[in-house]
Amino acid sequence: MEIIRNVGRHKLRSFLTISGIVIGVLALTTMGALAENFNALIDGGVKYFGGSIQVGPPDGQAANLLPMSKIDEIKKVGGVEAAFPGYQFAAKPGGAIVVSFGIPDTIVAGDPDENNYSALKVTYAQGRPASASSHGEVALGSTIAHEFNKKVGDTIDLPVRPADAKPDFVNHSFTVVGVLNETKTAPDSFAYINIADGQMLLRDSLPASLQSSIDVTQITEGISVYGKPGSSLSNLDKIADRINSQVTGVKATKPSDLVNGFKSGGAIFTAITTAAALLALIIGGLSVVNTMFMSVAERVREIGLKKAVGATTFNVMGEFLLEATLIGLIGGLIGYGLGVLIVVARNTLFAPADGSTLFLITPALTIFAIGFATVLGAVAGVLPAWRAARLDPVIALRNE
Amino acid sequence: MANVRLIELTKHYKRGSEIIRALDGVTLDIERGEFVAVVGRSGSGKTTLLDLLGLLLKPTAGSLFIDDIDTSQLGDRQRAQMRARRVGFVFQEYNLLSGMNVLENVMLPLRYVKDGKASGKQRALELIERVGLTDRIKHRTTELSGGQMQRVAIARSMVNQPSLILLDEPTGAVDTETAQQLVDLLKRLNSEDQVTIVLVTHDLDLAGQARRQIKLKDGKVLTDEWLPEKELLPA
Repeated sequence: MEIIRNVGRHKLRSFLTISGIVIGVLALTTMGALAENFNALIDGGVKYFGGSIQVGPPDGQAANLLPMSKIDEIKKVGGVEAAFPGYQFAAKPGGAIVVSFGIPDTIVAGDPDENNYSALKVTYAQGRPASASSHGEVALGSTIAHEFNKKVGDTIDLPVRPADAKPDFVNHSFTVVGVLNETKTAPDSFAYINIADGQMLLRDSLPASLQSSIDVTQITEGISVYGKPGSSLSNLDKIADRINSQVTGVKATKPSDLVNGFKSGGAIFTAITTAAALLALIIGGLSVVNTMFMSVAERVREIGLKKAVGATTFNVMGEFLLEATLIGLIGGLIGYGLGVLIVVARNTLFAPADGSTLFLITPALTIFAIGFATVLGAVAGVLPAWRAARLDPVIALRNE
Repeated sequence: MANVRLIELTKHYKRGSEIIRALDGVTLDIERGEFVAVVGRSGSGKTTLLDLLGLLLKPTAGSLFIDDIDTSQLGDRQRAQMRARRVGFVFQEYNLLSGMNVLENVMLPLRYVKDGKASGKQRALELIERVGLTDRIKHRTTELSGGQMQRVAIARSMVNQPSLILLDEPTGAVDTETAQQLVDLLKRLNSEDQVTIVLVTHDLDLAGQARRQIKLKDGKVLTDEWLPEKELLPA
């Protein structure tokens, strides 16, 4: 109680000091939430690409297409458990290029069985996956479903017709048969269709002169290869090496290369955002040091009295440390609260049209933001508290 | 054994190359329940003696026993515990905490004694009643007169039931009438609780009301005499 009163004794000074911490924690919370959101995306990529081998055309090939026959060749390579063809298309073609921290809406055509092998499992909030034998079914990720306000039973035209579409623009009506649970990563903005519908969209995407001459059922854009469940990254790398040496006309990318690329990108982003925020917070911490030194200077007689009536060095130090810690905690709670308000407002009230989120508040970030501010307050209070605790009570009691 | 025993108690300070003999080999016994006034000119060693008795200073030489405990053998933490449990302080400038009310100020020393708060609140309330401030219990110290503030300080000095109360010019900041009221209060507490009181003062009228008067000069005891007992004024 006395500690709270001491903090409130100089209201303006405490307000300014706490404001310094608030600004720092606010920066830490918002920047940290940005990094957390980005890291969630990265983690999804790491999980997916760390559990499969991506096979595409060899370097130098213009078209991103492979013969479907390569799947059977790949399946014969030692260690390969399964291989699936796949196609991807922009769900909103022709849109303006914007800088985004999210993954653009994408139509993903694949075999529903692939989910049994993938390390990144998708689950369904409503309905089911598009079945392999049907036509015109789609399962939507949570973000894309929210963006277009679709639920199971609704229909959606894919790809979405751009506002300035040419007369020959083709799209198809799909029935929503499932909506995925949120994953915080790529599948949220994906629309999953089956292989046959993917081949239909592939044909639509080809120049008119080629559409009749290419059998789209015999080509795939890429092949996802899986080892035995639980295969290590190094084992998958070895399988990739074997594919490259045994199967001609394809290039298998080592999963470790993809994973390392994701991780280094995430680490740099996190380092930049966190360092900027920590810098702001440390500047706030210096104001706590200043305030606590002033507080000690003003309360010399009080310290002398407390020592005279039995306070030990430890008692006095503890009281001043608690006061500094309280300043840090109050600043941390307010800064974190404001940060959460901004994040929630951005993610809901001012959400972008594509429904993507920019910030992600996690329990780890909450603990880190408030905990760091509190610890910073305590650390900032150590020197002033030590000075207070070491005061000679005889001199302190007679201090004018 | 005496409540307080000083054996060749000495405190020297160094000021440059000069050695200041603030207290120079003082030997005294003070029995439990005595009311002692220490007088002398400025620089005679009164305040140094008080600081040594209060364990705020460590002697350069000699021994100080309080309740048969040789304080010269104690570390800082044990000295703090002794101050908390066995010694009470009253200062000329009251030294009350302005952010606290009367009760909180009186209870301050309990904070530094194990289980002090739990058992001490009732005693604090009783002491506030005994010093006549029950109606001011929730008042901030800034709302009190000088005399009232010194009563709070006296109640605070007794809250841990010490055996020794040390007062440094306790009436120095109040008028004559209030000073006499404070002296009467101290006498009553001294007689009722058998607590030893040692006060340091320039005020010879105040010193004359003690039972024993010790005069210091240049850090030595010049005189140590017992005074005739005066009748206690009614409360």
